[in-house]
Amino acid sequence: MKNYIINPMTAAILALSLLLAGAAVGQEHGGDIVYSKPLKSVTFSHKVHVEDKGLICDMCHARTFEMKALSAQENGDFKMQALYDGKYCGACHNGTMAFASNSRCATCHTGVKGYKTQPGEQAAASAH
Amino acid sequence: MFKKIDFDKLKNEGLENVPMKERRDFLKMGLALTGIFAGGTIFSAVSSFDRVFASTEEFKEKYPYKPHYAMVIYQNRCIDCERCIEACAETNKVPEGGYRTRILEHDAPDAIGQQREFIPVLCNQCNIPQCTRVCPTKATYKNPTNGIVMMNITKCIGCLTCQQACPYNARYFNEEKKAVDKCNFCFDTRLSKGESLTGCAAACPAGCRNFGDLSDPSSMVYRTVHQIEKTVWVMRPEAGTKPNVFYTRG
Repeated sequence: MKNYIINPMTAAILALSLLLAGAAVGQEHGGDIVYSKPLKSVTFSHKVHVEDKGLICDMCHARTFEMKALSAQENGDFKMQALYDGKYCGACHNGTMAFASNSRCATCHTGVKGYKTQPGEQAAASAH
Repeated sequence: MFKKIDFDKLKNEGLENVPMKERRDFLKMGLALTGIFAGGTIFSAVSSFDRVFASTEEFKEKYPYKPHYAMVIYQNRCIDCERCIEACAETNKVPEGGYRTRILEHDAPDAIGQQREFIPVLCNQCNIPQCTRVCPTKATYKNPTNGIVMMNITKCIGCLTCQQACPYNARYFNEEKKAVDKCNFCFDTRLSKGESLTGCAAACPAGCRNFGDLSDPSSMVYRTVHQIEKTVWVMRPEAGTKPNVFYTRG
């Protein structure tokens, strides 16, 4: 099963629109990152964080998250408790900088339903 | 000396003008206001201890079953990881395409903050089930001890009338059993074997599904259903089926 969920099409359209809009709008980013471990699934939206909220790359990369997508979920401690302890998403999602990790669960947790709507998964499902 | 007040002769001025907040504050103290007297200087109240708020009035004196199995679902905790569905399918041999429990998705793009909510649904093990009422062969019935709505698959003729009657869409036709199948709170697979939780409740990593005995005052489900600080509701109350699956947030 494929784990990387950066849709090349989305990325291409995004890159193109960014070029058209000019460099002032923002920076290239990784699109949607969909974590599937330890459970399905959590969607991190680069668009929300970079374009809407205006964060810059090195606020998270590479100290909190490596540049390589989904590398965080290979760590055994990639669980809610780590977030409550200020690791990973919890570095900002602590209730002061951004909404707390123990609130608004389904905002990030897009679930199995969210996972199935990923383009890679759709292709896999239709191939069955 | 104070003048003796004859309470019986005071006129009840009605509760219409008592602010809702004040009435709720009294409720939190365990008192339900019944009237105000003497220009609002005297309140009368009765104890609201042991009053049932989410469950239905006719069951407040005594729950009809022992144990009276029920589930409290914290709707905002569901993250659609579907471990409950997987555990259910494994425990109860639910075939592909069938279901005993499902997760509904509710999107509210205009909402402030969280804009998505997942809602776990399963058989509500109704106190007044419609499915058992319409079954022509009594293949589905309410267990007289614990109130679980059960299936006797040897009697089921597959007419699917129960499916039509169920307001919760909790029944499917199981091709392997050649009978209708539904959630029975894992009675045959877990509860009757000494387990205290259903498969889904045991598998839930988020504390969303809470299973227990509604007739036991020390149980979490009893304590949730009998409090007033957080709203507790049931699905489709207008169906009049008196469900035993309750929903809340928190």
